[in-house]
Amino acid sequence: MFRMPKPAAMDLNLAPMVDVMMCLIIFFLIASEIVSAENLKKLVLPDAAAAETVDKSELGWRVTINVLPGSEDGGTPAEYVVGEWDGQQVVQRERTPEELDELLAAHAKRAEQAGQQLRCVIRADREARYAEVEVVMRAAAKAKIANLVFAAEKVSAEEAGP
Amino acid sequence: MKTRKRTLEPATESIPNLAPMVDVIMVLLVFFLLGATLNLSEEGTLQTELDPSSGPGEGVAFEVIPSVEIGLINVGDGDGVEIMLNNVTLPEADSFAALRDSMRARLLGGSDPTNPVTITAQTGVRWKYVIAAMDAALRAGFKNVQFGVSVAE
Repeated sequence: MFRMPKPAAMDLNLAPMVDVMMCLIIFFLIASEIVSAENLKKLVLPDAAAAETVDKSELGWRVTINVLPGSEDGGTPAEYVVGEWDGQQVVQRERTPEELDELLAAHAKRAEQAGQQLRCVIRADREARYAEVEVVMRAAAKAKIANLVFAAEKVSAEEAGP
Repeated sequence: MKTRKRTLEPATESIPNLAPMVDVIMVLLVFFLLGATLNLSEEGTLQTELDPSSGPGEGVAFEVIPSVEIGLINVGDGDGVEIMLNNVTLPEADSFAALRDSMRARLLGGSDPTNPVTITAQTGVRWKYVIAAMDAALRAGFKNVQFGVSVAE
């Protein structure tokens, strides 16, 4: 006599899928870290014990400028790298001092129209010369950006010093 | 009457499969280990507010009358720096601890901590020394740090 087979419960094992998803997440996290580190080249911030750790969201509207020092003999000029939104992602673009003036003025105008206070975050390498950083401060002053924020490596009071 | 002997089925031991859980825990462990090592250094900020009504934005030179004026003079090829406090050179070069102590003494002597402190540096002075001077002023207790226009070397 023919009997219908008992319906078997379908068992879905989700564990391998979770494993693979986790591996993918880690891969992309590490890849993005490496890419952003490569974009910024080597930038070593100066030490400061008085540096305050602030959440980026607390800074509000801001424009961040990275200053990489020029060569010792003056053959290679300093590089000014600005993180900009291209509509899809933030990309690091190198700017000349003249372009910095225009860029900061445009940012300041946009912030003023939106009724926001704009901050200029200067991330300068510890070996950059004062004249190279002064270019950014001058551009900020021209754009009437009063709030300047200097990035520094937060160290303990004992470790502080150049 | 024939009786059927009833026997109990042998008890089955359920063994949970721990392998997927171990996999996930290992992956999480690796993730947090990497996350911890990638953020070894902590980035902080030093903030200042410049006077928006004057300076290059207005097209005029401006003069700040600071209560404390720090001057940084390049020594060698950027290897060191000579520190001046109100036009008096500190005896020890590169000693920002001495600068901080001198500034703290001024505060204890009755200086207003909200008075402007101006840092003026020669063009070739390394940024680490400028930040060290700002750090010394802030740690001494001064709140208002400004930057002066550099002088020619």
